[in-house]
Amino acid sequence: MSPPARSRPSLRDDPVARRALLDCFPLFVPAIPFALVLGVAITESAMPTAIAWSTNIFVFAGAAQLATVSLAATATWLTLVATAAVINLRHVMYSAAMAPRFTEQPTWFRWVGPFFLIDQMFALGMARPELSNSDWRRYYLTAGIFFFSSWNVLVTLGLVLGSAIPTEWRLDVAPAIMFAGIVVLGVTNRPGIVAAVVGAGVCFIALDVPNNGGILLGAIAGVLAGYVADVVLDRSSHGPHPLAADGTDPT
Amino acid sequence: MSSFAAASAVLVVGLITYASRAGMIVFLADRPVPTNVTRALRYVGPAVLSALSVNLLAGGDGIGGVTAIESAAVVAGIVTVAATRNLIASIAVGMTTLWLLLWLT
Repeated sequence: MSPPARSRPSLRDDPVARRALLDCFPLFVPAIPFALVLGVAITESAMPTAIAWSTNIFVFAGAAQLATVSLAATATWLTLVATAAVINLRHVMYSAAMAPRFTEQPTWFRWVGPFFLIDQMFALGMARPELSNSDWRRYYLTAGIFFFSSWNVLVTLGLVLGSAIPTEWRLDVAPAIMFAGIVVLGVTNRPGIVAAVVGAGVCFIALDVPNNGGILLGAIAGVLAGYVADVVLDRSSHGPHPLAADGTDPT
Repeated sequence: MSSFAAASAVLVVGLITYASRAGMIVFLADRPVPTNVTRALRYVGPAVLSALSVNLLAGGDGIGGVTAIESAAVVAGIVTVAATRNLIASIAVGMTTLWLLLWLT
């Protein structure tokens, strides 16, 4: 009689994978309406439906996906791509912050892991410093695969629902409400409010700029305004510069 | 938008998305990002998403495309999410406001 083959632990027996799924749940619930709105937006998109749906596979980034499928009707190819690229700039920050956690991981994981680096994965990945490298890798992949598969199911559900809803319901307005809501949820300090207000204001003034150029102008103005507000508020909260008091350069 | 233009846009956006996520992890893992850059990147999200919301409101028709009814729906959504921190409630209140105003006018 041969000894039983050693198998990988099932999900039920693997506390790390179970922990990952439990941690995913509260972060995934707020993404459900977004996925449904995206599904509806795909049905309203000027892109062929299958190609718009394929953003789930090739892009897997809610805000960039929604921008891509929503702007297809009005923007040029270049504006559409540039807008999605600017939206994704925050991922550079995530990537920089997560890099130390990846330095001792196998090469294949350093290439595969970033594909799953959505907002929620950044929050989860940074939240478990106590896990060993191999446990963290399993935790990260479990969460990433969960988000990817759930996202695909829900967006498809939204697509099916969207096809059945008449255009008089004006669901094309939902993405604008959704983006505004995400901004409100994401802004946590005064420079963030400045960035959002200036971004929206400049975009509004520049709405007649050809090729939807107002989005990029608003984005650039908003980032600059947020940065300046951050520096100014930071300086004022630390009091006057010592150089002004005694004439010596503290650096 | 033609199928070719749409497919190529999706692929390029996908590549850019992956590059922005993988760049620091795969290629620049040992180099620190300048503090000023990190500081500015924090404001990319609010700036670009608020601009995008305004642009989608206009629907590609310039300033003339922004109607009072749609703006009221977005404002109702903003007030709701600020009060409840709940996106589902925001969409529900925003769309209900839109439907009510469309029905009344």
